[in-house]
Amino acid sequence: MSEKINIKLKINGVFVTLEVLAHQNLLRALRDNYYWDVKCGCEVGECGTCTVLLDGQAVKSCTVLAAACDGHEIWTDKGLGLSTKLTARIQDAFVECGSVQCGFCTPGMVVAATDYLKNGGKPDRTAIREAISGNLCRCTGYVKIVDAIYKVAKDIEEGLL
Amino acid sequence: MKEFGYKNATTITEALTLLDGQNARVVAGGTNVLPYIRSGKYTDCRLINIRDIKDLNFIKEDSDRITIGACVTISQLKKSKLILEFVPALHQAACVFADPTICNTATVGGNLASASPAADTAPALLVHDAIVFIKSLNSSRSVPLSEFFKAPGTTVLQRNELITHIEISKQKNSGFIKLGMRKSMSISIVTAASSVTLNDAGIISSCKIALGAVAPTPIRAAHTERFLLSKKPDDDTLSALIKATNLDISPIDDIRASADYRREVTPVMVKRAIKLALYEHC
Ligand SMILES: Cc1cc2nc3c(=O)[nH]c(=O)nc-3n(C[C@H](O)[C@H](O)[C@H](O)COP(=O)(O)OP(=O)(O)OC[C@H]3O[C@@H](n4cnc5c(N)ncnc54)[C@H](O)[C@@H]3O)c2cc1C
Ligand code: FES
Ligand code: FES
Repeated sequence: MSEKINIKLKINGVFVTLEVLAHQNLLRALRDNYYWDVKCGCEVGECGTCTVLLDGQAVKSCTVLAAACDGHEIWTDKGLGLSTKLTARIQDAFVECGSVQCGFCTPGMVVAATDYLKNGGKPDRTAIREAISGNLCRCTGYVKIVDAIYKVAKDIEEGLL
Repeated sequence: MKEFGYKNATTITEALTLLDGQNARVVAGGTNVLPYIRSGKYTDCRLINIRDIKDLNFIKEDSDRITIGACVTISQLKKSKLILEFVPALHQAACVFADPTICNTATVGGNLASASPAADTAPALLVHDAIVFIKSLNSSRSVPLSEFFKAPGTTVLQRNELITHIEISKQKNSGFIKLGMRKSMSISIVTAASSVTLNDAGIISSCKIALGAVAPTPIRAAHTERFLLSKKPDDDTLSALIKATNLDISPIDDIRASADYRREVTPVMVKRAIKLALYEHC
C-alpha cells in the first residue's frame, strides 16, 4: 500500500483535511471525498472534464498530485457556481444557449470558461475556442458552448455583470 | 498494488537530500508523472514534490543572458515580457504547447527531463544556446542542452540530480513552428526553431536551426546550418534546403506520421521557422 498522507487545503472556500495516498491524483482525492461535480473521463490529461481551479488557475486535476496540494486552494464547478457571480452567470448561459447535452464535459468547460473570463477574456470566438481547447465535448459540436461563453463575455464588456 | 511514498521539499537542499541514495523521483507539474504512475512506468518509489520550491521559480535577465528556473510553468513563459522580447522562439513554443490548463502546471524543467523527441520547448531552447544547470547533494554541473538528451526518455541526469535552472542567450531574431494533427493538445509531428542574424548586405552571418520529433532526441541541424551560412535567405536558398535537412534527420513512422512525410515536411518547417525569425510571419 502506498503511504497515507494528511493534507490541509481549502476547497470551495472551506478549510479541510483529507487523507490521500502518496501517488493519488487530485481528481481521485476529490471524488473520494464527495466532490462529485468533478468528473473523471480519461484520467491522462486529454479530455478536460476534471478541470478545477488550483490557486486560481484552471488545471486538469487528474494530472496533479493530490499530496502536492497541501496548503493550496481548490475551487470546483459547483463551489464556484454557488459563490461567484461570474461562474453562476456562465452556468446560466450554458442552460440558456443549450450548451449541455449529456453534460459530462460541462463542469470542466465551466471552470475553463471561468478562468478565461476572470482574466479579462474578450467576446472573441477564436480566443474562446483556444481557452477551451483542452476540453473535449462529444455531443454539442462546441458551437453552443462557445455561444454561451461569448454571451457572458459580451455581458461583461457591456458592464452588465 | 501501488507502493509509493511522498515528501514535499520546500528548498533545493531538502530536495537533494531526499533524492540522495534513495529510490526517489522528482515531481514538478506532474503532467507526465501522473500518467507514468497510472500506466505503471513508475512503480514503488518515493515521490518528491518540488513545485513549492521558490528558488526554482523565477525568470531573470542580465546583460546578454536570461535565466529560467526549472519549475517555471509554460503559462509563465507565455506571459513573460522578457521571453517575448528576447527569446521569441520560446514564447511561440509556449503558445502552441498542449492547452491552457496543461500549461498552467507543466514546467520547463519537466519538459526537458522527460526527454521526449517531441518536447516543444527543446528546439526553441537549443537555438538560444541553452545550458542546463544540474545539482546533486555533493556536486553541481552545467551541460549544454545540445549534449543533455541521450535517447528517447533518457538524458544525462542521474537519479539523485535535479535541474535547477536553464540559461539562454538573448536573440531577438528567433522563431518556432509546430506541425501537429490539430491546433491544440497535439504531440508534434515536426517542430522547427531558428535563430538567424543577417549582415548589412542581407547575407546570413550566423544561424542556428533545431528540430523536434524527427530524430531520437531534439537536435541541432548542423548540415542545414552550414548550408545556410553566407547565403541570402531568399526563396531560392530556402527551397534548396531539402538535401541538407535530410542529412540532419532520421525520422521514424509512428501513429502521428510516416517517416516519408516527415522528410517531405521538415524542410518546409525549417523555411517557415527562418521566415518567422526574420519577418515575424511565414
Ligand atoms: C494532455 C497532455 C498534453 C501534452 N502536450 C504537450 C505538448 O504539446 N508539448 C510538449 O512538449 N509536451 C506535452 N506534454 C507533456 C508534458 O506536459 C510536458 O513534457 C511537461 O512540460 C512536463 O512537465 P511537468 O512539470 O509536468 O513534469 P513532471 O510530470 O512533473 O515530470 C516529468 C519528468 O521530469 C522529471 N523532472 C521534473 N522536473 C525536474 C527537475 N527540475 N529536475 C530533474 N528532473 C525533473 C520527473 O522526475 C519526471 O521524470 C503533454 C502532456 C499531457 C498529459
Ligand atoms: S479526466 Fe482529467 S483530463 Fe480527462
Ligand atoms: S455535452 Fe456531452 S460531452 Fe459535452
